[in-house]
Amino acid sequence: MDDSPVLRLRGAAFTHPGGTGVSGLDLDIARGEAVALIGPNGAGKSTLLKGILGLVPRTAGTIEFGSQRPGAGGSPTLASHAPNGMVGFLPQSADLDPDFPISVEQVVMQGRYRGLGLLRWPGRADRAAVREALETVGLAELAKRPFGELSGGQRQRGLLARALASDPGLLLLDEPFNGLDQPNRDALVGTVRALKTRGVAVLVSTHDLDLARRVCDSVVLVNRTQLASGPVDDVLTLSNVQECFEGVEVEIDEHTLVVPGHEGH
Amino acid sequence: MPLTDALFGAFAIPFMGRALLVMLVLAVVAGFVGVLVNLRGLEFISDGLTHAVFPGLAIGLAVGGSAGLLPGAAIAALAGALALTWLDRAGITSDAAIAIVLTATFSVGVIVVSRSDDYAGELEALLFGRVLTIPPDEVLPLIVVSITALLMVLVTLKQQLYRAFDAKGSRAAGDSALVLDLVLNSAIALVVVAAASTIGTLLVLALLIVPGAVARLTTARLWWLFPAAAGFAAIAAWLGLALGFAVSVGAGVDVPAGSTVVAVFVVGYAIVLLVSSTIRWSRTRINGSRDRAEHRDPVVAGDGR
Repeated sequence: MDDSPVLRLRGAAFTHPGGTGVSGLDLDIARGEAVALIGPNGAGKSTLLKGILGLVPRTAGTIEFGSQRPGAGGSPTLASHAPNGMVGFLPQSADLDPDFPISVEQVVMQGRYRGLGLLRWPGRADRAAVREALETVGLAELAKRPFGELSGGQRQRGLLARALASDPGLLLLDEPFNGLDQPNRDALVGTVRALKTRGVAVLVSTHDLDLARRVCDSVVLVNRTQLASGPVDDVLTLSNVQECFEGVEVEIDEHTLVVPGHEGH
Repeated sequence: MPLTDALFGAFAIPFMGRALLVMLVLAVVAGFVGVLVNLRGLEFISDGLTHAVFPGLAIGLAVGGSAGLLPGAAIAALAGALALTWLDRAGITSDAAIAIVLTATFSVGVIVVSRSDDYAGELEALLFGRVLTIPPDEVLPLIVVSITALLMVLVTLKQQLYRAFDAKGSRAAGDSALVLDLVLNSAIALVVVAAASTIGTLLVLALLIVPGAVARLTTARLWWLFPAAAGFAAIAAWLGLALGFAVSVGAGVDVPAGSTVVAVFVVGYAIVLLVSSTIRWSRTRINGSRDRAEHRDPVVAGDGR
């Protein structure tokens, strides 16, 4: 089996055409490992995730997916395209039309499209993958329901199932806990744990230390650049978090990172 | 004139048969493409494309006569698709920008047509079509253009629907927004090209928009939208041609066939809208009274005291 990390960044920087971005990224994520990405609003967490997806250009450093390296860094237009279907992505918020005539299982099937390409249509294996993804997130009962009829938390789990249906080696979750009620939070934590045991690597951006402590093996603190990384308990110290949140008064209670004046998005 | 003559017998006449064949193919393709126009909300961009085709038709007619119509329209439509895709990607999608482009191209077309000897006749043919006078040697090219548009959409259909539902998710999954938009806009442009030669540049929009809107009213199932739109468009095209024939030949009132087809499309939409609204209204009433019945205080069976 290939022991190289699922994702390796070395001195990587991702920069929007407008000039904002995140730099100095050194990161290894192994199979079955979950890494929390923590930083304030505008710290570049989403930019980093989109950079890994190839949606924001990499302007420095290197990126490797498994043993594959999609080109060297340096070019301002260089994207970081992952191998086909290797990376699953759950966006922070999806601007979706609730009246769009599509069922939950049809949304999840979209996760299989990249592997199918243009000419092939979903077959038995794809339908089985969709069923399994829906069972993993606990939405199998609602497979035939119109997607627009789901609650906010259920929609988020549906989109997670879509990301899972692509059978990714690496799953990127962008603020997955935002706006979720407790049952949906518990379901998401359970899903991430199940994915880890299956060998899926998970990189999750969050403000929520509950997730970091319950399911993540390590933490990366970012604020426009990488400030610290390592095991959860070593990195999530008050001084590290205060530095990351730029002197904003920080309290850390047992579960939630509370940053007064910070909206938690 | 007996009804069966108008509905079936009329199409034994060669020019009516050609009109039906071209209109059926065009209607099915326009219905199919129109579902994506509806789901993506591209109605106004489609309107821009119908106008962008006009100078191409006019220049094609001026340079090569009626044989120049199709190539002229095709070049103009693809240029229009490129321009509108570029405007969209540059973030210039305001109604004003599209309106400026479409009126500018339309005026170029009118200027070109005005140089011809039969200004009024040619302008009318371009604007309102000539479905009953399609020459036999133009039938195949029109069908090829329509089928090409259908294939472009079919090959990218899964990805087009993904983009229509979740544009950001589609990009994150590795789909190129530029390529998908270019393919869809080009397919719309080719439908406009085929339709411009048959029912005219002003009426083509009905073929692209009405079937998709009807399909959305009749089903909430994604894959049923396409046969619903194509089926409605085909039946409306057939009834429209038959009605035009019956009125013109049977009643002696000369009505343009393209306009009759579009009128049937719109009347069909109105009927479907009325029926679906009535069904929705009655369902709401039934559910409302059921809810009231469920929440009513339970009747306690008394013992007479």
